[in-house]
Amino acid sequence: MKLAQSHSYYIKSVIEIESERERESNLMATSHVDVPGEPTETGTALLETATGTIQGFQPINNIHQHLCAFHFYAHDMTRQVEAHHFCGHLNEDVRQCLIYDSPNKDARLIGIEYIVVESLFLTLPDDEKPLWHSHEFEVKGGYLFMPGVPGMVERQDLKQVCKTYGKVIHFWQVDRGDPLPLGIPQIMMALTRPGQLDENIAKDVEKRFGVSFEEQREQRKDLTGPDHGIHPLANAAGRGLKTELREVDIPPATSMPRVFV
Amino acid sequence: MASSDEKPGPTPVATGDKPTPPGEPTTLSSKILDKGAGMMQSLKPVKEMKQHVCTFALYAHDLSRQIETHHYVGRLNQDVLQCAVYDSDKRKANLIGVEYIISPKLYETLPEEEQKLWHSHAYEIKSGLWVNPGVPQMLEKPELENMACTYGKFWCTWQVDRGDRLPLGAPALMFSPQPVNRGRVRPDLVQRRDEKYKISTEELRESRVDIQEPEIHPNADYWVKHNKGFAVDVKPADMKRLAPFP
Repeated sequence: MKLAQSHSYYIKSVIEIESERERESNLMATSHVDVPGEPTETGTALLETATGTIQGFQPINNIHQHLCAFHFYAHDMTRQVEAHHFCGHLNEDVRQCLIYDSPNKDARLIGIEYIVVESLFLTLPDDEKPLWHSHEFEVKGGYLFMPGVPGMVERQDLKQVCKTYGKVIHFWQVDRGDPLPLGIPQIMMALTRPGQLDENIAKDVEKRFGVSFEEQREQRKDLTGPDHGIHPLANAAGRGLKTELREVDIPPATSMPRVFV
Repeated sequence: MASSDEKPGPTPVATGDKPTPPGEPTTLSSKILDKGAGMMQSLKPVKEMKQHVCTFALYAHDLSRQIETHHYVGRLNQDVLQCAVYDSDKRKANLIGVEYIISPKLYETLPEEEQKLWHSHAYEIKSGLWVNPGVPQMLEKPELENMACTYGKFWCTWQVDRGDRLPLGAPALMFSPQPVNRGRVRPDLVQRRDEKYKISTEELRESRVDIQEPEIHPNADYWVKHNKGFAVDVKPADMKRLAPFP
């Protein structure tokens, strides 16, 4: 049974965990900019160690998986970002991920991704579908991977991910060197065909994580994308998207809302 | 498409009194895969979230829409925090957005147009709306005075209170409760929260009376002075390409 085979891989891998973790501490993204501000004070750190122990973190504890992939801006493919997803299942068909710019302790939280199965994607309104992107190419292409997880186990999950659609919003434009999360949210897209991913970024990630996208491609030949093919409205409906901020009129701050009257 | 849209377009998943989100229950094999991955991967960034804060937020395009939020807070340094925001403290809570929190020192370095998107925390904390569930008051008090001076920027990506069973639409800017009529949180929301945690927001307010009232920057909480909120529009645009797409 596939699961039993995977079990032996788990055991072998437990032994590899320590060395993997050491390697990970050297995995700084190349465009790392220091976040402005003073180092954390002892008192603050102590308090947070305490709250970290006392309080409940159930939603965070639901996050069980680290996926690395690449995003680019829905209005600009030339701006590409290495995206570390930390994902949890809401149910079998929906996942939600926190996106960081590295797998390290000091990683910046730069965005969010939601992942849904094809059947749910198809229920989305037509004006919503363009904000979502397909995963087939980046999975089959080998570009989306789970650092530290052996290929055979990884592929069990990637088999599902290959058929899903994702919605990614970034808040911190680290690729342009922003020291803080400036500006408005950005809708992001993912790789959909060869030639899109910047070669330097690709090589850098392959080197730092000890992976080969080409090798992964070979191993993932039997994975298949959405059963109904990639929807024409997905991936920004084949064009592009941008976000804009707009001021809106609201009732004066001092006027009394009905509910209090 | 705009964050201020009243309802997203018609979809089988946006209506009815059904569970959010739609979908099949997590299968055993997914759970096993997850557990296995969890053993092999260190998930370091996520482990940096060491505080749970329960508070309230208002939509920047419609202050009458108010939500209880659960912030899981991670610290980057003494001046910058980043929070994953959920709609409850349960394991299957929906991830509804991200908030960034910065010190007044850093807030002052932001360009004016940027400052308008941020909100102050002073009232939220002094009024007792902001709580660290499960943390004894004497522990949280020293840091609360620092927090009370900070500014936040909160983007909501899932408008659950609108009935959305999946994260639909454009991301929305959120604001914090403020001591003006339109900025007050509905009593029933506060009461429900208080009952859940067996606390009293009113008592917390009394205990925080001695927290110093910071001077709030004039560009924060933009709506209070200008009677203008913000919405985010998502529009089709030409994508700058270096290869064919899609």
